[in-house]
Parts: sequence; structure tokens; C-alpha cells
Amino acid sequence: FRLNIEGLLVYFPYDYIYPEQYSYMLELKRTLDAKGHGVLEMPSGTGKTISLLSLIVAYQKAYPLEVTKLVYCSRTVPEIEKVVEELRKLMDYYAKQTGVKNDFLALALSSRKNLCIHPEVSSLRFGKEVDGKCHSLTASYIRAQHHSNPSQPVCQFFEEFDAVGRQVPIPPGIYNLDDLKDFGRRKGWCPYFLARYAILHANIVVYSYHYLLDPKIADLVSKELAKKSVVVFDEAHNIDNVCIDSMSVNITRRTLDRCQTNVETLQNTISRIKETDAAKLREEYRRLVEGLKEANVARETDIYLSNPVLPDEILQEAVPGSIRTAEHFVGFIKRFLEYLKARLRIHHVVQESAPQFLKDIYEKVCIDRKPLRFCAKRLRSLLRTLEIADIADFSAITLISHFATLVSTYSKGNLYDYDFHQKTPTIANPVLHFSCMDPSIAIKPVFGRFQSVIITSGTLSPLDIYPRILDFRPVTMASFTMTLARTCLCPLIVGRGNDQVAMTSKFETREDFAVIRNYGNLLLEMSAIVPDGIVAFFTSYIYMENIVASWYEQGILENIQRNKLIFIETQDAAETSMALEKYQEACENGRGAILLSVARGKVSEGIDFVHHFGRAVIMFGVPYVYTQSRILKARLEYLRDQFQIRENDFLTFDAMRHAAQCVGRAIRGKTDYGLMIFADKRYARADKRGKLPRWIQEHLTDGSLNLTIDETVQLSKHFLRQMAQPFRREDQLGLSLLTLEQLQSEDMLQKIAQIAQQA
Amino acid sequence: SESDPNLISSESYLVLLVVKRVRQRKQDGTLYLMAERIAWGPEGKDRFTVSHLYADIRCQKISPDGKAKIQLQLVLHTGESTTFHFANESTALKDRDATKELLQQLLPKFKKKANKELEEKNRMLQEDPVLFQLYKDLVVSQVISAEEFWANRLSLSSVEHSISNNNKQEVGISAAFLADIRPQTDGCNGLRYNLTTDIIESIFRTYPTVKQKYSENVPHNMTEKEFWTRFFQSHYFHRDRISTGLQDIFSECAKQDEKGLKSMVTQGVKNPMVDLLSLEDKTLDEGYGTATVPTTSNSSNKSLRENSNSAIIKRFNHHSAMVLAAGLLCVIFRDAPSDQASETSSTDGNSRDSDFFQPPLKKVKLQEAIEYDDLQGDSGRKTISLNLKKSDRYSHGPTPLQSQHYTTSQDIITSISIIQHEMRSYKPRLTQVMSSSAASSAIIALSPGGVLMQGGAQQTINQLVPTDVQSELKHLYMAAGELLRHFWSCFPVSTPFLEEKVVKMKSNLEKFQVTKLRPFQEKIQRQYLSTNLTGHLEEMLQAAYNKFQAWQTRRMMRKT
Repeated sequence: FRLNIEGLLVYFPYDYIYPEQYSYMLELKRTLDAKGHGVLEMPSGTGKTISLLSLIVAYQKAYPLEVTKLVYCSRTVPEIEKVVEELRKLMDYYAKQTGVKNDFLALALSSRKNLCIHPEVSSLRFGKEVDGKCHSLTASYIRAQHHSNPSQPVCQFFEEFDAVGRQVPIPPGIYNLDDLKDFGRRKGWCPYFLARYAILHANIVVYSYHYLLDPKIADLVSKELAKKSVVVFDEAHNIDNVCIDSMSVNITRRTLDRCQTNVETLQNTISRIKETDAAKLREEYRRLVEGLKEANVARETDIYLSNPVLPDEILQEAVPGSIRTAEHFVGFIKRFLEYLKARLRIHHVVQESAPQFLKDIYEKVCIDRKPLRFCAKRLRSLLRTLEIADIADFSAITLISHFATLVSTYSKGNLYDYDFHQKTPTIANPVLHFSCMDPSIAIKPVFGRFQSVIITSGTLSPLDIYPRILDFRPVTMASFTMTLARTCLCPLIVGRGNDQVAMTSKFETREDFAVIRNYGNLLLEMSAIVPDGIVAFFTSYIYMENIVASWYEQGILENIQRNKLIFIETQDAAETSMALEKYQEACENGRGAILLSVARGKVSEGIDFVHHFGRAVIMFGVPYVYTQSRILKARLEYLRDQFQIRENDFLTFDAMRHAAQCVGRAIRGKTDYGLMIFADKRYARADKRGKLPRWIQEHLTDGSLNLTIDETVQLSKHFLRQMAQPFRREDQLGLSLLTLEQLQSEDMLQKIAQIAQQA
Repeated sequence: SESDPNLISSESYLVLLVVKRVRQRKQDGTLYLMAERIAWGPEGKDRFTVSHLYADIRCQKISPDGKAKIQLQLVLHTGESTTFHFANESTALKDRDATKELLQQLLPKFKKKANKELEEKNRMLQEDPVLFQLYKDLVVSQVISAEEFWANRLSLSSVEHSISNNNKQEVGISAAFLADIRPQTDGCNGLRYNLTTDIIESIFRTYPTVKQKYSENVPHNMTEKEFWTRFFQSHYFHRDRISTGLQDIFSECAKQDEKGLKSMVTQGVKNPMVDLLSLEDKTLDEGYGTATVPTTSNSSNKSLRENSNSAIIKRFNHHSAMVLAAGLLCVIFRDAPSDQASETSSTDGNSRDSDFFQPPLKKVKLQEAIEYDDLQGDSGRKTISLNLKKSDRYSHGPTPLQSQHYTTSQDIITSISIIQHEMRSYKPRLTQVMSSSAASSAIIALSPGGVLMQGGAQQTINQLVPTDVQSELKHLYMAAGELLRHFWSCFPVSTPFLEEKVVKMKSNLEKFQVTKLRPFQEKIQRQYLSTNLTGHLEEMLQAAYNKFQAWQTRRMMRKT
């Protein structure tokens, strides 16, 4: 139906609405009005996505000059596709209500692997292979060669797109990944390049975080997005880690060895070209002297090697003289490589900041900071000049050049650099970790460039920490609860076994026999009373392995098998996918199953366990990050010094957001229901409990804080029995589900105003 | 007809194996294994005196090793058996084993070829005792022919087949069947394992490789007991233990399991929403990110303990998958034909690239994922509601028309409430009680067998009629029901075939009445059972005769 949100006409494609959706849209509208950023937490399953889309699309239609584009970032491919489908629903509704044909262009963008339609290339399994093969068919010099030598294979789909695809704009509509492929097949155009081209004039773009946050990709794809865009990061509870990952580099001896081979190949190629085509190298040199903007010569297809530095910091200066000629540059890289090799030969752990590293390198091998900064750019130019076809082989040298550029660019205390050394029983295997300590570096240009950035997720508590670690000033920060006609979630904290032994994954007691046995008994008892699926999360993979082994020895697993089938996450993604599918199959056919999984793992981050796929989630222990890691320690130190965030606060925050993610997997809507069992006595403490999202916290009563297994079973039985009763629309109506009339009543509006809690 | 298969000269069959000096009934001769049969002919004659189609052979048995006579026995489906004695001293054992091996390969192929229909009929008779009785009553006693009996049985059952996916639902396997084999110490440093046939079947169904090993080794290489002893000692059973013996016959099973698991993994998953491999859009390239670099020398630096831990995890996943698959196997098997049909029909129209078939599932899953059924209007889920004209009749079932009072549930409820009301205000008038004799006669009248209890015929028939007569009566009812079903199914008589059939069925009914019903009536008369047990049967038959009469007169009139 149609809503009036503070004067904005919003089409909402459903017959009913949740009160919190209305509240969410209100806050969102205020954020957009203020042209500022927002942090909004609302439980999953309350229709966050459709609220976001409805409001922003309405805003775009009402003020086309104020907001020109919506950039919606989500984390996984299925999430992206889901967003587009919801959008399609909304647009269909618009068309039906207004009778006007949809004039919006909305599309999803994904990597080549998900969009390629070239019969040979698309059959490759790994994204990297697809990218490499695509490049070997579409690079500009390959195409140039094709001109003179038609037997040189090129990609027909790209050629076709290049010839006509750019002139004819893609007609308005909603294009999901499969729609793009269909469209590409019909026209004979490459869907990937079509999509990349089309995002520039699309009204709505849906893609993954990396396209904005990873400077290596953002530079290629998102550089020209309009300033008047609204950027949404959905499922953003881990956004800081994505930022850090995109700016961190690890170098091993193997990398260096492969880099060595790369350097030799480059040298050979250079000397060969010198004999045959010296003019080419001279031309490159001239270009570098003049600092000609690469953009003029770069073709879309060549940008496989991009700059790791952020878009607005892209260096405008010319490449310094010392690395302008090809030979000099290779020599320079060689010297740098030798230096790194020497550093990796040490036998003790070293930890130093970027300035220290730069100082050392200057003293030892006289490498200056400035040429280092240009490494990535210079290498890109060289590889293009040398017409290297298979770029995948050069990943090692590319990595080194990125490292050089990063370490020399962000040296103002933002980044730390580690040499450390993993002692394994047999061989020393030192690794150089270059770790970004500050997630705000990667996201800063996004906040700076776009008018409104919305960070939203089901679990963002405590809200105030995100603006601090990402270093931005939001205009709105709000947490919304889930209005419920029946309490469909039941969080319970189990602190003791029936023998009164405390249950905890605390480091000192985690190997304790009694703790492991109690954990086993808890799972066993639950497997007997919970219907269909149970998902259990452990704090780490190793911990899970150990527990599973001792459960096996004690015969606990066998007893569990009497009730349900057991599936276990492994470190192999393909194997886990299979286990997951079998798990769902077992839930589907009524047999019932248990999935043992790991917090922070792929399952905990990307898979929902709706309805019978997850009637109970058990979180064994508090999922603290491995605190002995030096990188983590350095990051904690950095947080303390820069943002005044205490170590413990951050660790607890991090553990609790992952715990909340895990247990939140079970509830995906108001008709769903599930138990959330926190099996660790530490959850009862106020500092832990207080960091859970509000929508979980408010259902934690004092009576459910330190239960024994028996008490848990009793409460669970009671809960499950209640939930098994029929639940109809009438039960919800007026409370957690509203019709338009109900929404318009004065009373209800007042109630709604209380749903949002401003932080 | 074909040429005489017993003539050697006329054999155009491919001979797969010839074994000389094989004795049968103390006669020397030669054994031939051909493409479809095994045959034996005495020395110097060009005729086979023994010839069996492989399809007729149920199994082969061999004499245990170490016995003086090296023999091979063929047991036929009919129960007969033929024994061959391999008499060539030097190569007897080799000959026998060669024969055995070849038979082992050939027999399973022909088992499946055996007459499907006959098997199906046999199965139906075996599974359904009622049907079997009916068969005896009607076919064996020659009331109707076997063909008539099966005529609409088979088609009927095949209809049932497709509707309910077969009448028999296979029982799944408990995931903990291995746990049920509680090892118990027997007091002298040994372990006892309790194996039941159920557990063995579970093991076989879940782990086909073990079954294969079993059929390969038992009983020729080892006894059943030895086989299971080895199984429980094997590394395969205790997956967390590291492989011990080289002669472990189960190490191959483990390898095959591994292979199976791998192929399952490489096959990938059908549901794109759980495919963790393609979850992430853009994974970080190697060397980027903060996650610790996976060490290249993965296996070498893992401790033994870790290795065994991950083996346990793998095993649990595999075990659960196998148990699940074993439970689903029969369902899949039964679904197979219909699946095939739908697939062929869909591939006819369009032959586009392979991933054309994938999106529908993905679309469905996506739609499911974004659906909020409580936000949607009522159009969401459509259920079919019963369209009842008289809900009373639905809850009571059909009531006989003769009964004068048609009590609705409303009547019953009101009368109950009236009684309740009366009882509430009931006050016994103790001065005006009945005389004791009147009371006792009333009790007698209300006891079973009393004057007022005649209506409850069901109870009395239980008590009055001996059980053998009861069961005979049941069989009669069933047989009559079957015949009547055939009879009534002919109406309306629209084709000449049906005309013929209805006439035949009527005579069948008459035959039934004469050969079955009459003797039974006489029998109960002899036993002085007063109750008219067969009255209803006769009524039914009479109704059929009347119908037939009416039909016939109408037909005559039309003809004249």
C-alpha cells in the first residue's frame, strides 16, 4: 500500500506492514534529508531490505536531483540476488499501482565467474581462472594482434559489446545476474562488461562490498559513481574486517621465490624486445616522463592490475626517474626482493611500524620512499608494454609491488608491519604480515565521497562502536526491536551442568573433562526434545575438533545419533556445502539433524536456518578471537591509542557480535521460532549481556541467566510446546502486523515512536 | 518353435568356458558355460543332458576347501539342485574356481531379467495375505481363471503404485546402529559384539562396500563369524585408529568410501543457497588479507591426533550421508520412472545449454527466501477446503436409511445437556425403590444374551460362532466381494467385451454360490448355529442377480 512518511509518498508492495518497518523508514528518511550517514540496527526477518528499497526508491522518484543513485552493497552472491528480487517485486508493484511503465534501471554486478557466458571461459571453476582466461581473450594488445592475425582468438561476446553495446543503452528494467546473462545471450554481448558499463547510468546498483571497499577493485569499477548517491552496506556487522582484509598483505618465502622467477621472466622479455622492438620501450619511457594520464590509453579490459591505493589518493605525479626505464625498474624490484629475502631469514619475531620499515630499507639498500610508492603503477605499465598475456603467473610480483606501494603510502602510523616467524616442528616458515590496523582507511573515501552512507544489519550492538572504529559522524543511530505477538525467540544462558560444574569455554578450563562432558550432555538432551534441526556453534575449529573427538570417545555422539543425524563443518568449503545440503535434506524429510559448526566460519556468516532448519541454536562458549595473535594485539593497541577503545571492550564486542550472528541465524521472521542457547556462564555477566542486540536482550529474563541443563530442558520443552500451537494472522494483527488503517491511528504512531532507540 | 537347445551341433550360442572332466551323477562329461545357459553333456555324446538357463538359477554353492571332492552345486528357483564334481586331478580346483568366478559375474545379470510380471504377482501375493487367501478361494478352487483374477488387479495396483508410491514404506535406518553393537567384555580379555540381522542389514544398506566384501569372501574365504570379527577389528570400523594390518580386507572399503565422498563433493550441491564455494563474490587473492596463510605443508606438520580428529569428522559426515541416502534409496528408486518421463518430455522442446535447467531451482529458492507470508494478503497460500453439504453426515458416516430417527449431533448434544440437567436435580426417592426380583430380572435382561441385548449382534456373533467358522465366513465375504466387484465394474455395459464379461461374471457368482456358499450353509446347519450368518451374503448375490435380470430383460426388449 501507499504510505506517507513525513510527506514522502512511499509505495510498499505488501498488504500489511510491521510497525518497526515504518519506524525504520522514518529514521532512514531523516538521514537522507540531512544528507548524512546513518547506523541502523534491525533484526533480520523484519523486512529490512524491502523497507530500505521502498523508501530510497520513493526518495529517488520524489527528488531525482537530490539522490541520483542507490548503491546497495551486500556480502554474498545469494544476498545480492535476493536484494534484486525484492527490488523487482517493488518495481512490479509501482508499475501496477501507477500504471506507468518502469523507467528505472537496476542491476546486479558480480565477478566474471558469475556473469561470463563464453562457453569455454565460463566452464572454468575458479574465479581467478575465469579472470585470467577472460583477460587473455580481451586484452587490448591481444585484440590488436587479432586485427593483423585473425587466427588469434578473441572473445566474440566482448567484441560484439565493444562494437555496438555502448551506443545502445540497456533498456530500463531490473536485471539480476541471470537476467544479465540472458540479455547478453540474446544480444551476443558480454554481460560482465555490459554490467560494468551500465552501472554508470543505472539508478540502482547492487554489488558486493569489495567493489567499494577494496581499493584494488574500487578503482576500476566504482571510480565514476556519482557523488549524489546513497550507499547502503547491508549485513555490515563485519565491515571493519572487510576493510582491513582488503589492505593487508602476507608474504612468504614461496611468494618471494615465485617473484624471483617473475623477475627473471621480465628480464628475458625485456632483452628480447630490446632486440626486436626497442621503439616500444622508448615510447613507454616517453610516456612516463611526461606523466601522461594512463586513463587515455588504458582499456577497460586491461585494468586487471589496479592500484592498491585509494581513488582520491591516486598519484598525479610522474613516475620518478630512477625507475622509468624498464631495466632500471626491474633492477629496483630485484633489490627490493633481495632485501625482503634477507628480512625473512631472521629467526625471531620482529614487529615494526611502517616508518621503521622504510627507515631500515633506506639504510640497508638505499631504497627511497618515493619510487616504492610508484611500484604498482610502474609494474602495471611495464606488463602492458611487454604484452604479457597470462597475468595469473605474475601474481607474486604484483603482490610485492602492492606491498611496496601500500607500505610507503600509508606510513603515518596507520599501518603496522610485522615480521614473524612461525615455528613448525620441521621447518621454519617465516611470514611477513603487513597488516592494516585501521579499517577507516579503506572506508574513508566512501564516507567522504558519497552524500549518504547507511550501515545496517541485524546485529550492530553496541551501536556507538562502529562510528568510532570506522571514524565517521553519523546523523542517525538507532536500534529497532522486533515487535512480537508471541515471544518467538527464547534466549537461555546455561551456566552449569547438572553436576553444578560451571560450563565455560574459558581457556583455563576448556580442556576440562567435566566441561566437555557437560557440553555433550546439553547437546544430547536438546537433541531429544527439539524437533527437526539444531545448529551448534563452537568458538573455533580446533576446539570443535577436540570436543568432537572426546565426545566420540565417550560415546556421546553415538547416543546423539539415536535422535538425529550429525553433520559437521570442515575446513573444506565443498565438503561443508555437501554436509549442509544433507543437513537440510534430513530436516526436510523429518529425520532431524544436528549441524556442528564454527563461529566466524562460512556457515555462521552466510547461511540462514529458517523455520525447521534451525529450531535451536546452541553457542558453545564465547567466541573470542584468538587473543595470542600478535596482529590482534597490535590492533588492540592501535585502537586504544587512536580511538580510546579499551582492549577488553573491543574483544567482548567482537565476541558478542559473532555470538549474536550465530544465534540470530535461527530467527528469520515473526512466523519463525527458535531457541537460542548460550552455553557459557560468562554470558550472564552484564558486560557480555549488555552487548547483545536489543531485540535479543529484551527477552533475556533474570530467570534464564544461570541455568542447569535440566532447567534448560524444562524451559525449552515449555517454549517449544507453546510455539507449536497454530499462529494466525489475527494473532499478530494490530500488535506486530498492521493494516494501513491501524498504522494511521494516533495511538499506534505513538507506540511506533518508541520502537526506535536512539543510541 | 526354436531349435532344440539340447543339441550341441545346433548351438549357435557363444561358449564362454569349457571345462572338461566334470562328473555329474558319476558320469564323466564336459561342462559348458554359454551366454545364457550352463550345460553339461556326457562324454562322447553330442547332447546336453543337463541344461539350465542362468535365469533359473538361484545360487551356486561350493564345497569347502580341503574337502576331497571338489564340487559345485547349482540351486534352482524351483528348489532342485544339480551338483558337478570336478574330477581333473591336477586342475580341479582351478577349474572349479574359474567356473565359480564366471558364474558369479553372470548370475546377477540374469536375476534382473527374470520374469518381472511373475515376480510382481508373487510379491503381491506374498505381501498381502488377504489377497493370497482370495487367490486360493477363487483361482485355486477354479471359480475364476487366474487371468481374470489378475486382469484388473495388476493395473489397479500399478495405479496405486503411482499414487502412493507403493503400499509398503521401507523403514529407514537408525543413525546409531553401530552404537547398538555394544561391545561387552567376556571376562577373558576379549570383546563380544552383539550382531542382529537388523544391524547386519543396516550395515549392508549403509555401506554397500562392506556388503560387496561379504559376498566376495563369505563363505568361500572365511566363515561369517570370521568376517565380522575382522570387521570389528578393522581400521575401517574404528576410523580414528590408524591403519594397522596390511591384510585388512576393509582398507579397500575405506578407500572406496573416500572416493564416494570425493565424488559427492565434486558433484557439488544442487541448492545454490547453500553452496559455500560461490557464496563470496570476490575472494581476496592469495597473499591478501589478515587471515593466517594456510601452511603449504599441510599434512606433514599436523599431529597424529589432529589427523585422527579430522578423520572422525569426515567419517561422521560420511556416515550420516550414507544413512540418509540408504533411507531415501527406495524412494528415489520408485520415483525414477516418472522422473525419467518428465525429463524426456522437457528435453524434447528445448535443447539449450546445460545451465538452462539450473535457474528454475535457483529462482524458486530465491523467491522462498524473500517471501514474508504474514505481510502478504490472503492470496498467499491456497488450501483446499472440504465442501460439505451436511457436515453431520461427514462426522457420523453414512447411517442406515431404515432407522427412523435421524439424530443430528445437535440433537445428541441437547439430549445430553437435558440429561445432565435432570441428573443435577436428581434426588433418589429411597422409599419408592423397586422390588429386588424386578431389579434382578432387569439386570438379566440387560446383560449380554438377555432379552434387551439382542440388538448387539456383533458381540453375540463373536461369542456364539466358533472362530474357524468366523474366519471361513470372512473368506467368503472377501471372495464374494471380489467377485461382486468384478461384476459391478461391468456396468454400464457399453461394449461387447463387457457384455461377455458380465455374463461370465454372473455365472461365476452362481458357481460361487453353489460351490462355496451352499456347503458353508450346510455346515453351519449341521452345527445347529441358528443365527442366519449368510443372509447378508445372499442378499448381496440376489441384488446382483436382480441387476443382471433387469439388464437382460432390457436388452431382450431392445433386441426385439
